[in-house]
Amino acid sequence: MKKIILAAAIAVALSSAASAQTVRLGTEGAYAPWNFIDDSGKLAGFEIDLGNELCKRAAIECEFVANEWDSIIPNLIAGNYDAIIAGMSITEERKESIDFTQDYYPSDASRYAMAAGANIDFDNLSGIKIGVQGATIHASYVEANLAANNTVLSYETADQSVADLVAGNIDVLLADGSFLDPIIEASSGALKFGGPDILLGGGVGLGLRKGDDDLEAKLNAAIDEVKADGTLDALIAKWFEKGPFYSN
Amino acid sequence: MSWFDAIINDIIILAKPSLFNIYFALASIPIGFLFAIGLTLMKASKSKIISGIASAYIYAFRGSPLFIQLFMFYSIMLSLNLSVWKPMGIDHIVLHPLFLGPMILILNTSAYSAQILYGAYQNVPKGELEAARSFGMGRVRQFLSVIWPNMIRLAWPAYTNEVVFLFHATALIYFTLPVINEQKDLMNKAGELFEKDYNVFLHFSVAALYYLAISFVIFLAFGLFYKYLMRHEAAAKIKKFKFSPKYIR
Amino acid sequence: MPDWLTNIIGQDLSDGLAYITNGKHMMWYASFRFTIFAGIFGALCALTFGLLGAIMLNSNFFLFRLIGAAYANVVRGVPDVLFFLFFPLAFEQGVEYFLAKSNCTADELAANIGNWPPCPDAQWFLGTNEYLILASVSLGIVYGAFCANVIHGAMKSVNKGQLEAAKAYGMKPMQVMLRVHIPQMWIYALPGLSNIWMLLVKATSLLSLLQIADIVLWADRLGAPNYLKQVGLVHPDWRWKYYLVLFLFYILVTFLSERAFAYLRKKTGKGMVDEAVL
Repeated sequence: MKKIILAAAIAVALSSAASAQTVRLGTEGAYAPWNFIDDSGKLAGFEIDLGNELCKRAAIECEFVANEWDSIIPNLIAGNYDAIIAGMSITEERKESIDFTQDYYPSDASRYAMAAGANIDFDNLSGIKIGVQGATIHASYVEANLAANNTVLSYETADQSVADLVAGNIDVLLADGSFLDPIIEASSGALKFGGPDILLGGGVGLGLRKGDDDLEAKLNAAIDEVKADGTLDALIAKWFEKGPFYSN
Repeated sequence: MSWFDAIINDIIILAKPSLFNIYFALASIPIGFLFAIGLTLMKASKSKIISGIASAYIYAFRGSPLFIQLFMFYSIMLSLNLSVWKPMGIDHIVLHPLFLGPMILILNTSAYSAQILYGAYQNVPKGELEAARSFGMGRVRQFLSVIWPNMIRLAWPAYTNEVVFLFHATALIYFTLPVINEQKDLMNKAGELFEKDYNVFLHFSVAALYYLAISFVIFLAFGLFYKYLMRHEAAAKIKKFKFSPKYIR
Repeated sequence: MPDWLTNIIGQDLSDGLAYITNGKHMMWYASFRFTIFAGIFGALCALTFGLLGAIMLNSNFFLFRLIGAAYANVVRGVPDVLFFLFFPLAFEQGVEYFLAKSNCTADELAANIGNWPPCPDAQWFLGTNEYLILASVSLGIVYGAFCANVIHGAMKSVNKGQLEAAKAYGMKPMQVMLRVHIPQMWIYALPGLSNIWMLLVKATSLLSLLQIADIVLWADRLGAPNYLKQVGLVHPDWRWKYYLVLFLFYILVTFLSERAFAYLRKKTGKGMVDEAVL
């Protein structure tokens, strides 16, 4: 199960020889602040911190592997790594091919971002260019509901879709609110949210191969722990400021 | 489904995608050829500046991969969108792969074609030029009735090869520019089919078949035209046009 | 940046220098090793396949000639990118097919029809290194087809008298081929081979299509706009700048290659009977 285009480990040369007990965590490395490659060339972000914390609690040795988003599920099944921790929403469709742990980030609305001057009739979307990252819940949603009357452009990485939005090549971009939030804030008025919030996923969890129950149990227990003692909320606060949080 | 049905099925599915490759080639070949003539004349110019510009252009586009050129021009055009294309109201056209793809191909192929034409230009028999001059022909007249007919005959076999290469190069466009809705070319569609059933042999072979067949048609058509160009020569003297000429890009 | 350097070149330049030497950029520079490896190893493969192809084309045996001609013409009739992707995927599936024969149970095979690989034990895990080697071999096969044609033509250009003289000395056909024919054909093949090298160099830009984090992929990642301070320097879409660097890099490689081949031609041309080819 391989995909042609940009699959497999980006060989970020993260760490060398993996011992037999090491659990390999697959992430994308291009979805700030969830997971990204920082200026020093290392993987960083909310999920890197969280992954390391979970592994510590579950007393397992972990290493991260970067993998292109659009082949991240096939390569999990193929065994290139043992778990996906890449801002992946839990959906019924994905559950057909992989298992999920419980969520470690609450269900978060998908939102439309657009240029500040744009005036778009969201009740009656037609004839506009909609951007999404390929193989995401947003892509499936747009494909199913909006593709007939609009032009859909799908991008390999979220960064590319943002670049095209900023450059005005797409009218709206549908993506996770938590991903768009800091971008819109940083755009100093050039971009804005608009239209309805759309609830698509059931929170974000780690993806696992079907039947990998042992690992699933360990990770679920670790997530329970970090939820209970507030570590998870602290991490969310560190990377997302506004939340959403598990405790009120 | 027998393997035979599977092949027929793939041939049908890939028919429409092949039109995109043909479109890209058809849209860029004529304009690229005209550009190439312009570049050749510039390169042959007596002015050092003009010939230097043409030489540098040809060198740069022949010396770098089309794959990089596609990425680079897409991002350049994108970064000009807000300041240039939007105000002019042509952003929907300019950034569309069906426009931008051929445009970059034109930039690329005009450099390769100009190199071929320039080589032919240098090999135009000097005697014929001298004869034309002694006839008192003007420069334009010299070009039209002596230089050009010689040039095109000399360049045609290599140019044929360039056109086939250009057709092959259309396979790169949708690896680099965004795919819009169902507008997919041969490689794109073959890759999509592959991801469904992992039958790399079937889908890639049928795509290869399309490329081979169309390349063959190009050779045939250009070969016929070559025969026409060389109609003044004795039939035996015309080098046979082979499917695999030795010239390479 | 050390202070003394900042004092000399100023703050802005110093910041810029620090940016383009940060870890992420270093990974970009390091990824040039994939391109260089694919270029060199691919060229060696292409020469090998080209020689084999040319020997086949030159053979007296009809079947060999046919195989040689089929190889040289079919591979050149399709885009390099198609074969570049096809070969590694097909090779991988071929290996997995054999793994499946020995490792999979009948039940697993029945349950996995239409799926690949047929069972988990038949999975052949390919990392960057494996893909890099397959990609290079793939480049070798594609450009070997071009080489076969060039070398075949060059072998025909070798002075017949030389070959007859060798035969008259009592050399066997194989000896004539290895000691006289092939050593003498290089000078005729060089111009064509230098052209193919240029093509191959340009094709090394395709590595990212085969799951290798090469210079093109890093250029995309580094140039992608960044809006978050936590991630690093905040900047708009800079991809075109990075691609421009790659554009210039390849032009430079072309320039250096031309120089190298010109030198090589001068050198191999020494002592040749037929100096007209120079």
